[in-house]
Amino acid sequence: MWAKMICLDPRTKLFMVLTVSSLAVFITNLSLLLCVLLLALAAVAFTGGNPLGLLKKLKKFLLIFVVIVFVQSIFTKGGQPVWQVLNFTVVSDLGLVRGLQMILRFFIIISSAAIMTTAKPREIIQGLVQCKIPYELAFMVTIAIRFLPILRDEVNDILTAIQLRGVNLKQIPLMKRLKTYAYLIMPMITSVLLKAQELSVAMEMRAFRAYPRRTSLRTLKMQKQDYLIIALCFFVFLLVVVLALKIK
Amino acid sequence: MNPIEVKNLSFQYEKNTRKILDNLELTVAAGEIVAIVGLSGIGKSTLCYCLSGIIPHVYGGIMTGHVYLNGRDTRDLTLPQIATTLGIVFQNPDNQLFSFTVEDEVAFGPENLCLPPEEIECRVTDALEKVGMLKFRHANPQQLSGGQRQLIALASVLSLQPEILIFDEAMSQIDRRGKKMILEMMLKLKAEGRTIVMIEHDLENLFVADRVLVLKDGRLAPFAGKLS
Repeated sequence: MWAKMICLDPRTKLFMVLTVSSLAVFITNLSLLLCVLLLALAAVAFTGGNPLGLLKKLKKFLLIFVVIVFVQSIFTKGGQPVWQVLNFTVVSDLGLVRGLQMILRFFIIISSAAIMTTAKPREIIQGLVQCKIPYELAFMVTIAIRFLPILRDEVNDILTAIQLRGVNLKQIPLMKRLKTYAYLIMPMITSVLLKAQELSVAMEMRAFRAYPRRTSLRTLKMQKQDYLIIALCFFVFLLVVVLALKIK
Repeated sequence: MNPIEVKNLSFQYEKNTRKILDNLELTVAAGEIVAIVGLSGIGKSTLCYCLSGIIPHVYGGIMTGHVYLNGRDTRDLTLPQIATTLGIVFQNPDNQLFSFTVEDEVAFGPENLCLPPEEIECRVTDALEKVGMLKFRHANPQQLSGGQRQLIALASVLSLQPEILIFDEAMSQIDRRGKKMILEMMLKLKAEGRTIVMIEHDLENLFVADRVLVLKDGRLAPFAGKLS
């Protein structure tokens, strides 16, 4: 409940994401990575997100994570064998560590990205514009976010149209199914291009890019808590980096 | 000076041998509602694009003749310049709305004109009040009905305060209630002195027009009551 009361600026959230995901990239130590993951989950909760729900969603990828560990293990040279089949090392301790590192990084990056889902898309765009990102680029982001569900519906419509012609996608062999999916591409591209053109005309007819800059009805203002969180992020970043260097 | 004057306008799409508009003439007086009807594929939307400067600024093709908006040739104006004189509401509201709230959508045009926030605020409130959608100010446009979305598209054009409005089959994808809302809105705008060109295929909607013209063989003629 307290998390919902703290209303952070999207730029602060962006900074939190950058801090956490940068740490995920730099750090190799497993226990430190685990700490960063806990930190990221705490940040999700702090910004009003649901870390448990996020973990439940990530459970769907469990099989992929197991495969990643095996693949990492097979292609990692060195280390002590943990599981061997006919003198071939399937799992080595070093491979296992690398695989776990990769999984933890994946978890951290997804968790940190979840911080941004707690911000309103409009505020994110405004934040980007106020960070001096060209407004054309910021609008590209808006439109991409806005049109994703429309594109998903479009794909579903085309799939339904294919199935209404008597093609049961669930029953046909995999190769034939893939070939059928290829038929989706042309109508999809055509539809997307037409939508994009109509939208760009509608935007230009509303004076888009009339001037190199534009004003905003609503502007974001950083509050005390934003500066505090940014300072905290700096501190945590430095602390974890120092710890990582010491452990090395 | 008339808000819209079209002189000897001809247009032919690339890779097409037929002229879709052929020496077309049109004059629309200030405060007038002119409806243009015609069969599908006859060039009604093309005429709309020519009137609004989308042709030749966006879509290519062979265009001869002139379209004057308040005495200025659309060729000599940029689209953002045209936008402050003429607003266009397209057929499909989904391809015109892209913001996450109604307020943002309506503020988009004035923000592009670099107006101060106080002025933008006034224009947004005015435009939403005019179309009767002020209570939906913070709603997501995607969660509104087709008619309401089209009203938001109209409000987002009105916030630029254009004196000419073009409705390109703006009522073709909305229900009866939505159509009623848009038609009532057109009459209100006419009362304010705005000039309106409406492209229509539904003859039931023509009662709001002062003049009805039919587009046939690339030219406009008075409408006699039947399309064929």
